[in-house]
Order: sequence, then C-alpha cells, then structure tokens
Amino acid sequence: MAEHLNVLVRVNGRDYSRSVPARLSLADFLRHELGLYGTHVGCEQGVCGMCTILLDGQPVKSCLLLAAQVEGHEVTTVEALNQSEELHPLQRAFTEAHALQCGFCTPGFLMTAFALADWNPAPSQAELREELAGVLCRCTGYQNILEAVDGWLRSVGRPTLRDGGGDG
Amino acid sequence: MAETVAPAKPHSPPDLVWVGLSLARKEDERLVRGLGKFVDDRDLPGMLHMAVGRCPFPHARIRGINVTAALRMPGVEGVLLGADVVSRTSPIPVLRPLPDARVPPYRAMASDVARFEGEPVVSVVASDRAVAEDAIGDIEIDWDPLPAVVDAEQALEPDAPVLHPELGTNLVAANSRAAGDVEAALSAAELVISDHIRINRVTGLPMEGRAVIARYTRGVGTLDVWSSTQLPHLVRWQLARVLGISESKIRVVASDVGGAFGLKLGLYPEEVLACLHSMDSGRPVKWVEDRLEHFRMTTHAREAVHRIEIGATRDGSISGMRDVYVVDAGAYNSPFGSPMLSSLMFTGPYRVEDAFVERRVALTNKVPVGAYRGYGQPESNFVRETLIDRLARTLAIDPVEFRRRNLLRPEELPWKTPGGAVYDSGDYGAALERALALVGADAVRERQRDLRERGRRIGLGVACFVEMTGYPGSAFLGKHGAAFGAHESVTIRMNREGGCDLYTAVSHFGQSTETSFAQVAASTLGVHPDRVVVHSGDTGSAPHNTGSFASRTTVAGTGAVLAAAGQVREKALRVAAHLLGRDAATLEIVDGIVRDTEDPDVGLPLADVATAAITGHRLPPDDSPGLESTAYFDPPANTFGYGTAAAVVEVDPRSGEFTVERFVLVHDCGTEINPMIVKGQIQGGLAQGFGAAMFEELVYDPDSGQLMTGTMVDYLMPTAADLPLFEVDHTEVPSPVTPLGVRGVGEAGTIPVAATVANAICDALWPLPVAFRRLPLTPERVWRAIREAEQGPRAGAPQSNEGAVT
Repeated sequence: MAEHLNVLVRVNGRDYSRSVPARLSLADFLRHELGLYGTHVGCEQGVCGMCTILLDGQPVKSCLLLAAQVEGHEVTTVEALNQSEELHPLQRAFTEAHALQCGFCTPGFLMTAFALADWNPAPSQAELREELAGVLCRCTGYQNILEAVDGWLRSVGRPTLRDGGGDG
Repeated sequence: MAETVAPAKPHSPPDLVWVGLSLARKEDERLVRGLGKFVDDRDLPGMLHMAVGRCPFPHARIRGINVTAALRMPGVEGVLLGADVVSRTSPIPVLRPLPDARVPPYRAMASDVARFEGEPVVSVVASDRAVAEDAIGDIEIDWDPLPAVVDAEQALEPDAPVLHPELGTNLVAANSRAAGDVEAALSAAELVISDHIRINRVTGLPMEGRAVIARYTRGVGTLDVWSSTQLPHLVRWQLARVLGISESKIRVVASDVGGAFGLKLGLYPEEVLACLHSMDSGRPVKWVEDRLEHFRMTTHAREAVHRIEIGATRDGSISGMRDVYVVDAGAYNSPFGSPMLSSLMFTGPYRVEDAFVERRVALTNKVPVGAYRGYGQPESNFVRETLIDRLARTLAIDPVEFRRRNLLRPEELPWKTPGGAVYDSGDYGAALERALALVGADAVRERQRDLRERGRRIGLGVACFVEMTGYPGSAFLGKHGAAFGAHESVTIRMNREGGCDLYTAVSHFGQSTETSFAQVAASTLGVHPDRVVVHSGDTGSAPHNTGSFASRTTVAGTGAVLAAAGQVREKALRVAAHLLGRDAATLEIVDGIVRDTEDPDVGLPLADVATAAITGHRLPPDDSPGLESTAYFDPPANTFGYGTAAAVVEVDPRSGEFTVERFVLVHDCGTEINPMIVKGQIQGGLAQGFGAAMFEELVYDPDSGQLMTGTMVDYLMPTAADLPLFEVDHTEVPSPVTPLGVRGVGEAGTIPVAATVANAICDALWPLPVAFRRLPLTPERVWRAIREAEQGPRAGAPQSNEGAVT
C-alpha cells in the first residue's frame, strides 16, 4: 500500500491538515478529500486545464501536482468565488456573455482569468487568446469566453475574491 | 471583441412573451459556481472503484488470464472476466439498426477474441481507484495477436482478416438510395468530375469523459445508476435488457454531463461492468474514464472514403450526382453506429433529380464509431461542396454563381431529395446572399486582385448546406427498426406558490434546454421564467422520452412543453373561473395573476388558483384535484436548418501555411427561442468543424494497427489561440412542421467548415487546379496538394495529398 504523508495546506483561506497517500494528486485531494468538486479533471496529463487552480496566486494544473507537494502553500479553487449569494463579477461576466455551455471547463477558465488580472490586466486580443489557451473548451468555440474575460478585465482593477470589484 | 452582426429580429408568436429573448441561462447558476453535479462529483459511502484491463492489440486471441496476484492485493474486492460477463449478460442492444444487416453482438467484455485496441477484457473493483489500477497492472494476460485490418477499403478486400467469422465478411451493410436515372444523366452531362476523397476519423472529445456509478441494493433488488449520458431512459431500457432485470428496478440519473456531442448516446460496456460489480459486492461502484481510455473506447466518428461523381451542363446546371462511400464502422456496431445522413443529405440544397448514393459499412479493428455532431453531414458536405467548386471553375463559372443556379428556390419546397429526405421550407438563396454581403464578397475580390499584384494570395470560399434536424415522426422510426421514437415529453406540475416544476429526461450537457424549456413554459403559463424550475435527466421523475441528439431537443421538446403548459393553463383558468364566478374564456394569466380581460378589477393570484386545485378544496364540480400535466409531442416531419458559410483565407504557396482571416456563417433555424443560445450553439459547432477541418485526426498505424494520436497531446483539438473570429448571422423562416416554427440548430456549425476553408484555399491558388482529397487541411497537406497540382496528373499514381496529421 501506498505510503502516507502529512500535509498542511491553506485552501480558500482555511487550513487543512490531512494524512494523504504519497501518490494522491492535488486535484483528487481537493475533490475527494476536501469535497471541493468544482475543480474538474479532464485528462490527468496537464493538457486540458479543467483542473486549473491557483497555487500562491499562480494558475497551475492540479492534476500534475501531488497533494504532498503543496505543504505550506496556499491553494485557491473556484469555490473561493462563492462568498455570497450573489455571483462574483467574474462569474457574472461568464453568464452574461454565455461563456459556458456544459460548464465543465468553466472553473478552469475562471481561475486562469482571475490570475490574469494580476499579471496581464490589459491583454491584446491575441495575447488574451494565448493566455487562455491553457484551458480547453469543446462547447463554446471560445468566443464568448474571450468576451467575458475581456469585459471583466476592463471592469476591474486588481481583483479580490470577495467581490472582484474596483475597490481592491 | 471585434464586431459581429447582431441576429435578425426574432419571430415569435405574439402571446409567447419570453420566446425570442436572450435570457441568461438557468444552468449557469450552479455551473458558474463550480457546483454542477457531474458523475464524479458524487462519492457514496462504501463505494468501490473499478478499473478496466484492455486489449493492447488491434486484434488478439486471449489464451489465458491470470488474476491470482491481483486478487491477493489488499483492497481488491472483485474481478470480472469475459466468460463471466458473457454468461451473465446479453449483448448491448443497437438503438438505430443498420438496414438489411446482420450485426455482430457487442458484448460488455471480450471473452475469447478482442477486436480493437481498448476493448475491455478484465475488470477489477477495489477500495480506491489507484489500487484497482495497480491490480489491473498485476494481471497477466497471455495474448495471441491476430492479423488486423485498420483501413475500411482494405477490410473489404477478399484476403482481409474477417473480424467476426460468423458473418463471413467485414461488409455488414450496403444501403443505396436512388432517384431518376443517374447513368443517363451522367452520360449526358457535358462535364463530369469524379474523385476519391477520404474523410478523417475524429472524435467529439467532451471535456468530461464518460463516468458511471452503479448502486445495487441487495434484497430490494434496485439498481441506481448515475451515468454521464444523453439518453437516461434508453440506457435504463438497455441495461434492463442486458442484465435481464426489470426496468422498474432501475433508475438512471444524468444530472450534469460535461459535454456529449453524440458520443454519449446509449449504453457502453463499462456501465454494464459497474452494475455487475455492484450486484456482486452489494456496494456502490464508480468508474470514471481516463483520457487514454476515452480515446480507445468512446465512439469515434466520421471516417469514410467517398467515390463521388458530379455532372453538369455547360451552362452550369447539375445533371446528376453519384456517391458510393465506405464508412469505417470500427470493430462493432455501437448503439447508434455509422451515419446514414451522408446518404440522405448528399445532394445538399441543390436541385438534383438524378442521383445514386450507396453506403457500405465496413468493420475494422478500430474503436467502434457512433454519432458525432453532424453525423454524416460534414462528410458529405466536404466532398460535394469542394467538387462543386471544381466543376464551376472548369466550366469557367464563378462557384457562387454556379450555386445560385442550382439552389432550390423557396417555391420548390417541400422537396424530396434523392437520398429520401423531405425538405420542409426555407430560402436557401437568401442565406447565400446574406453571407456574401456579410463577408463583403465584392470588396474581397478587389483586395484579392490588389494583393496578387504584390505576390500575396488570398481566396474566398463558400459552402452551402442543409441540416436535417429531428426525425420524421415516431411511426417512421418504428418502421425502420429504431428502438426509440421521435417524440419528447415533459411533466409540468404547479406548486401552491404559482410556480412550477418541469420534469424532462433530457439531460443537461450544454444545450441550454433548462432555459429554453422554461421560456416556453413561462410564456404559456403567464409566469416569470424564474418560477419554472427544470429537473432534468432522471428516469425516476421524468416521463418517457427519446433523448437529446440529432438537433431535435428544441424541435420536439418545446412542442411537448407547449402542450403540457397549455393543459395546465387551461385547467388553471377553469378553476379560476369557478373561484371568480366568471367565464374561463374571458380570463388570462399575466405575471402570475389571473385576471378578467373584460373587467380589470377582477382577478386573483395564480398561487390561489393553484392552491385551490392542489388541495382540492375548491374545485369546479366535475374537476379532479391537482394542477399538472404530462404531454408528448411527436413532430410529424423533419425540420431542416440550412445556411451558407464564407471564408477569406490567405495562403503561402511556398509552405502551405494558411490563415483564416474571416469566417462568416449565415444560418436559419426558424424561430429562435433564445438567440443567445442559438448563437452559442453555432459558435461551438463551428469550433468543432474547424477542429475536424484543420487539426484533428485519429491516426492508426497501418502496420501495427495502433492508435497513434490517442492522447490530448497528440490529438489536437483547437485552443482559444487556434480559431478565427466567427461572424454569425441568421435569416429566419419559421418551419411549418413545428408549433413554434422552430428548426434544429445544434449541429449546423460542424457541417460547412472544411469545404469552405478548402474552397477558399483553392480560390487563393487558382488557376492552379488544387484539389483536396484528405482531411484535416494541415499546411503539409496543402503543400502536397499544391505540388500535385503543379506536377499534373501522373498515370498510375493516384493523387491523394498523403501526409501526416501533425
């Protein structure tokens, strides 16, 4: 049987201490240990981007990390946007632009877009297409996703999880 | 974002106030929060995890399987071998049988011979997925590899290995359709162009693979199945047949499905295996397909070889058309199997009276094919529309003008095609002209001339299409042996607040049905769409239906919503008339208030009416309690969407590289329930069309029979960086077939992309007579096509644009 390791990690602002199998991926840890099912799994080889989360603010593919590797780090998942009854402005931008159909890829795009506001808040169209190319979508053809992210980036300064509005 | 043309003003019947509005989707409330309920988002107490061992060869006999070591592993709870599975189950029922065919049984597990790389040969359940996979790794299988065939035409050669010896052949069906006298028409034609064109094998690649949880309850005998499927009711029926247990004991739930596109149409082997393991262990069993399994097990699509001929008169009238094509069906007939729409729709929107089409279905040692968005229509569109351009150019007629002369005119419809489809109505020419206007054809031609002088090559390509949506009635399908009908059904049940629950077995996988159904129900009932809560995909609560495929959900489903909501409304008005002492004929429901149209002071909340009915406290003398209805709608005929695509492409003739600068699609789906959703469907279809046209191919090595592009790294579906801006516009001719004038829309975008881009490339290079005989259109293939055209035809050397996909 697989060896277990202890991991202490902060996820969406809350600290978790767990003993996990050494080979458990971070995606599986988030989903099946912590019940954060919003992080989806699509290919388990780092291509599709469904499992994109933020690790210390940077978007990473959580299928390519082991849970044990995030000891002492801070993880943010799509559930962090669900702080109130109201949608986060980024989520609202997605629904207003019809940027999702089946919705399976949406958390990956939300996390990527959220990070983008930090390092490239005013991308050109070509840059935006490149920046979002790490997450795949088979339903929408991307056009409405680009529109949603573009519109949201224009409306915010530095985003915050709580409201993403212009007060950050 | 750059400008796109706004949809035309939607048509809607005057009373249906929420129809035609781009309301935000109800589905988004949960999905945008990451709170959807996909199968793998459920972890049940005591659940076991299944892993499947698969054949690594295209064709092999299983000499022996040794599971001793696997069974000894801590955490392993059970193993299934092919012999167990075969003795305990029946083959998976085909839902859409091939006409006049004897099909080989498709079992949930191979017991003796496995016939494609990926076919299940053993399964294990264990305490967690990793342990189950470890156990599969510890199973020793003694294989005897057999000769394999992975090319459909070769599979029909006399010396080809036969996959199913009891059939004696790999040709399982040859189905032809004909009209007029094609021999005479082609002999009389002044020009005939014929070619041999291969369509690439692709797959729909939903972001969520397949997944299942089966929970058998011992003693009670119930079997609850959560499945990532498009067909909850049909999967339930198939499971009952395969397992030999009563349908009443089975409940299938498909709550949220992460994309489907035709790939999740019906029962798959792993669902059967999970049920068997759960029946054996008495514990819930989960199986979640990984991406390697997805490429090797979930249905592939499209692959076909067409031998097509089109004849024309010197003045540009199509004289006749003949297409004999071989479909590569893979190793078994999957529940939906190979497409017939390449036959029904092969003459497209044109006036063709003398024609012959034959589909030959060949078995090969590859993953079984099934439906994929477009289902035969992108294939026939590519071969026809590229040949039409070549015909026109050879006759020195502008390809657009050639199409104008041959497009069916509105007054010629309804029109029965040689393939057997009956087009309902439409203005095909209007869509063509609108596409030309939108792309600015005259300005493109001018720019083309200017750039040519400076050594740059741009081209304008056009392709027209008709899309079959829905089916021509349940009785028609019954006559053709289908295991399903053409109808949809819903139950609408009012609550005491004056809102309602709407139950449909259509599962959610991106079609936005919850929203469009709510818009129709709310309009009929006189309430806000927020008051309509849609429950989808649960056989435990939804009435019998057909399922979501063939661009038929809105066509059939909104008819059912309209009928059910109409019956509820009628009873509500009857009860209200009783409560108010008025004539029901003078009452209406607006914003949740029942009021008298003749006396605005008389009215009461719909909630009061519903309460009176639901409690049965105050009813008209002859009425029974309750305020709900289940209604079915069976479309009497097919509806047909249609449209024209136009592209501007720049090509570098030295390298074969090309850039799609503009891509325009003008489409008609009749009445739009929600224009935002319609546009989303078109855009998504286009992206899949581009994938199949430019990037994607499931390549099997001809010698080893191995799948060479079986990961997401090797199989290139488009990313956000790979696609042009789509410029989408609509015309709107309501269909006479459906109550709301709706035509289907789901598959349209996939159909014309490859032909449009290919025609634009050829236009850019003209007068070099470039011809494409392979897809996808990679730069290497374009480069080879240019070289072939430059060298001219060589005797005995068929031109084929051979070349790798990547």
